[in-house]
Amino acid sequence: MSHTLTIASRELRSLFVSPVAYVVLTLWSVIAGTFFLASLIGFQERLMQLQQYQMLQQIELMNLNDELIEPFIGSMWVILLFLLPAITMGLVSSEKANGTEELLLTSPISIWDIVLGKFLAGAGFVSVMTAIVAFFPMILFVYGEPELGKTLSGLVCLLLVSITYVAVGVFASSVTRSQLIAFVFTLVLLVMLGMMLPFIVDITLAGSGVGRDSAIAETVRWMSTGSHVDRMLKGLIDTGDLAYFAISSAAFLLLSKTVIESARWR
Amino acid sequence: MSQTNDSVAGIPAIAVEGLAKRYGDFDAVRDLDFEIQAGEVVGFLGPNGAGKTTTMRMLTGFIPATDGSARLAGHDIFSEATLARAAVGYLPETPPLYPEMTPGSYVDFVARLKGVARRDRKTAVERALDRCGLIDVRNREIRQLSKGYRQRVGLAQAIVHDPKVLVLDEPTVGLDPIQIREIRALIQDLSATGGQTILLSTHILAEVDAICQRVILLDRGRKVLDQPLAELTGGGTSLEEVFARAMSRDEAENVEGGEAA
Repeated sequence: MSHTLTIASRELRSLFVSPVAYVVLTLWSVIAGTFFLASLIGFQERLMQLQQYQMLQQIELMNLNDELIEPFIGSMWVILLFLLPAITMGLVSSEKANGTEELLLTSPISIWDIVLGKFLAGAGFVSVMTAIVAFFPMILFVYGEPELGKTLSGLVCLLLVSITYVAVGVFASSVTRSQLIAFVFTLVLLVMLGMMLPFIVDITLAGSGVGRDSAIAETVRWMSTGSHVDRMLKGLIDTGDLAYFAISSAAFLLLSKTVIESARWR
Repeated sequence: MSQTNDSVAGIPAIAVEGLAKRYGDFDAVRDLDFEIQAGEVVGFLGPNGAGKTTTMRMLTGFIPATDGSARLAGHDIFSEATLARAAVGYLPETPPLYPEMTPGSYVDFVARLKGVARRDRKTAVERALDRCGLIDVRNREIRQLSKGYRQRVGLAQAIVHDPKVLVLDEPTVGLDPIQIREIRALIQDLSATGGQTILLSTHILAEVDAICQRVILLDRGRKVLDQPLAELTGGGTSLEEVFARAMSRDEAENVEGGEAA
């Protein structure tokens, strides 16, 4: 355990002196600010229109959570798919490129210490990213009355999704010594996992005799993060969704451990 | 930890038996046997591709052996891997450095990895930095250091947990003559004052002459010579001649597992 923390804290310190981390954090903040402002302006315009036409019933139905916070966090999730690979790409691959892999693997520590240390460091970094996103809805609490529970559920969802994606990133980073390949591989995996799986299954099944709601189709849809994210953003925290994040993180970490271990047998 | 009280007299620091590494149908190391006693400084010699690095990587646990066994300070490298690893300090061919760290924080990180107890850590790090002459540059980024200094950081990393056995893979390669002299002096100092067992690989004969007491010569994965240096150079023949002869004799015999005396 202490070795895991040793590796995690070294990795975090190195991350925070790397220009990549600052580029990512800057982009992330600027995009979050822009999206938030745009959604805020959109919300206000709709409200004014409704007021102009005296559509009181619709005004009653409008609320900050459904029309502002939820789509805002939802779009940040999409941005995450493209920015996160830049953070995780070097986690393991740079150890191979630096030759420091030889130090880690000849030290009296286990491979789990390495994998979990890397994972924890990435999780720490995405916590900072989530905190930046959390700052914006907080402003709304000063001027309006959004639902706290729903807002928190959305933020927890973003954090869990990010952490799961870090596990994917650790795996993609452990199969290569090149950060560029790790970046592209992570991106491909995340886009597949995050958005493409349901479409792929629909397209493949379209011509075949298997129905769209067959067991296979359902399973593949379950494997996609999209549906879990949608539910959680609406404020529904379900143990099934939590289990999804736990299982996929564990699966990718186990894969990483296997890959790192097998590298020494070649 | 394991490093305190297990140096019972008589246990060799390194004991290798029938060690072999096969990549597909290429034998990188074949049926290697040798023993190194505590406190000895042994030069591991041979042309490029002779299997020096492969052997060192097997000893330090970076790659598993295909066959055979080895013990470091009495610990089997397979069944007692963690103990064996804690007993060895290893400087790979390219020092395993994080360019963005400082020597101070890097050596501290390695001390944690090697399991140096928290209360001893600060002293251990200071001592390693001091012995390797790194006090002045401890807060510079490693990427800004010269090659000689990086090599010293690599050495500091290898000795920080005061290991029984030091495995150094070509510690002076790529350095200028002054840096070479400094690193050699450092290695001599380590063996003189720390009493550490040192196995170092090189293909510079002068280096062996300067610091080693014994030589193990490898050629194409096999041991072709294993003798104290004093015996080798005693008859007035130069080291070059001795090695050239040993290697040509090995070629002539060409017997499986054959071994020149």
